[in-house]
Amino acid sequence: MKWRWLALAPVLAVLAGVPWLGDAVLIQFGINALLIATLAQSWNILGGFTGYVSFGNSAFYGLGAYGTAIAMAQWHQPFWLGLALGAVLAVVVAAVLGGPILRLRGPYFAIVTLGISAALSALFANLDIAGKNIGLILPLTRDDAMFYELSLGLLAAATVAVAWIARSRFGIALIAIRENEDAAAAVGVDATRYKLAALILAAVFTALAGGIHAYWITFIDPAGSFDTTLDVRMVIMTMFGGPGTVFGPVIGAFVLSAIYEVLANGISTAAALFFGLVILLAVIFLPKGLIDLGGGFRALGWRYFLANIERHRL
Amino acid sequence: MTKTMVLAGMMVVLAGASAFGADPPRSISLGASLQLTGQDANTGRYYRDAYNIAIDQINQAGGVKIAGKSIPIALKLLDNQSDTNLSVRQYVQLVTDDKVDFLLGPYASGATLPTSSIAEKYEIPMVEGGGASPQIFSRGYKFIFGTLPPADDYFASIIAMLGQLQPKAKTAALVAADDAFDVSVAKGTRKLLAEAGIEIVVDQTYAAKTTDFSSIMAQIKAKAPDIVLWGGLEPEVLNAIRQAKGLDTGAKLMMSFTVGVPTADFRQALGKDAEDAFGMTAWLPSPTLKDDWFGDAAQFAAAWKAKFGYDPDYHAAAGVAAVEALVKGIESADTLDRAKVRDAIAKSDFASLYARVRFNEGGQIVVPQIVIQIQNGEVTPIYTDHFITKPIFPVPPWGQRG
Repeated sequence: MKWRWLALAPVLAVLAGVPWLGDAVLIQFGINALLIATLAQSWNILGGFTGYVSFGNSAFYGLGAYGTAIAMAQWHQPFWLGLALGAVLAVVVAAVLGGPILRLRGPYFAIVTLGISAALSALFANLDIAGKNIGLILPLTRDDAMFYELSLGLLAAATVAVAWIARSRFGIALIAIRENEDAAAAVGVDATRYKLAALILAAVFTALAGGIHAYWITFIDPAGSFDTTLDVRMVIMTMFGGPGTVFGPVIGAFVLSAIYEVLANGISTAAALFFGLVILLAVIFLPKGLIDLGGGFRALGWRYFLANIERHRL
Repeated sequence: MTKTMVLAGMMVVLAGASAFGADPPRSISLGASLQLTGQDANTGRYYRDAYNIAIDQINQAGGVKIAGKSIPIALKLLDNQSDTNLSVRQYVQLVTDDKVDFLLGPYASGATLPTSSIAEKYEIPMVEGGGASPQIFSRGYKFIFGTLPPADDYFASIIAMLGQLQPKAKTAALVAADDAFDVSVAKGTRKLLAEAGIEIVVDQTYAAKTTDFSSIMAQIKAKAPDIVLWGGLEPEVLNAIRQAKGLDTGAKLMMSFTVGVPTADFRQALGKDAEDAFGMTAWLPSPTLKDDWFGDAAQFAAAWKAKFGYDPDYHAAAGVAAVEALVKGIESADTLDRAKVRDAIAKSDFASLYARVRFNEGGQIVVPQIVIQIQNGEVTPIYTDHFITKPIFPVPPWGQRG
């Protein structure tokens, strides 16, 4: 295990060097890819480890964006204070809503989370301090390298958190909940408390990503902040990479972002179609995500893909 | 695992590096990222066609004249798939990889707000015809110019016209949807009404996409205002008029709407009830609007219809005006130096097929809306800063119109 962590150091160094090595477009792409990877990684904490599929994490993203925008645009506070405000807002909402909604299971949980983001969007569209429907304008900063390094740092922090979860007692409890919640409760796992902790942790990272994005893009409104397409992307990217793993969501987010970028710029009209096709093929041939490919391919070669189809009776 | 990580890293690098390294041609290059696919593609096409027809026409006339030489314009269009984040990246790409000389805007305020930040970051003039939100121009940016008139002033021409008509309007009902655009309209209109000495007796905001306006109509009936000013989307406006007639209410003198009145759908859907409704448009294809490249607006509209098979609207004209403002700016600066061109655009003052193009401090066009009224089933221009046609005023009661 140790050598794997060491092997990550040069990768991280290369990623950190992008603002000095790459061109401006790559930095732009990098900021977006790192932020969406952070969202996928945060989603993974609850969705990947406990199996609770949330379609409402964009609520925390929006809260982070609005926390930052309100602090900066309305109260003229520094950026870091805005980030903190957004994170606090997200924690409060996660703590208050988490209690009741985490008692629901399966599709019921998913449906409830769908509503949260929409409800918050409607709420912020009517708040004077949030600029109502018109949105808020943040000051312009030319320092894209800062946004890039911040996003990279946030993703690294989220990944370290997930790595810790994966080997801790906390993580084992979450996995126990995923495998059989009643059995977990029977052996003394306080399921609701563990799930709530996972949700709050996810909310913090998601809100910080929202805050960074808000300052970087310089303008936010309810539709763009509480964006339900983000929810779908978090889920798809995590599933594509490998849910419940440490690096799966990050790899999934990077690879899918890159594919989307190439398709959007290469064959603009049919890009969405091909993007859908990529996801469809991934679900059929790689149901456990890209991360499973490494070991599986070494063991079985090309038969790995067929084995997947057989195993899942497609 | 490490291998996959490296692979992912390579993909990231590839995504940035592949695609976009075309050599800059020996011409002036303009770049834009437009909604050519996705949810906003229907209006995005106006800008694609407007930029293309304007640049073709200018190139046919010899191109842009700098230091005695005529240089053709090249256009680099990217499709942002109605994705604002992608649009921001594409503008960075246009600036840094494609090294375009100047920028044209995307469609709609939502995409223009963040992408104009890119223009400002790189200090490259961007002229846009797709975003009307006053927020775009309130940030103290130097490099963004817009050819759509501000939402705040939509009712300015109507209120100015009322000041010159007898009987004088004294009370108003102001009704607006709660979408970003109409909230801005209502905000500006409150100020304009106060300045004109017209008292607002009903001031209502409703949720966008509302279909039942009976409570608002009841208030209007109770207060019996002289005028009703309504900001909303076309389906809402249609419902409002039907319900006003059903409850036999409305204004004593006139009703005016931000949208709907100029469209053929409006007249077809309402029939006789559309008669005498007031509205506004930023542009009508009138032969009195002279243009250096297209002759006049009527000839432009004919050329557009022949080329693309559909009628141009104000989006189209505003898009062409954006290109013309850039070209005029380059010609009067007589250089491609971006700061000098920026200053020249800020001083723009020329006649175009769209309107006389002049920009205010913030960079937004100064152009009065044209007041229109449905008279005998026809959209009739009434007033801009002077009367064009005599209005039917006060408007007769329901049932006696047309």
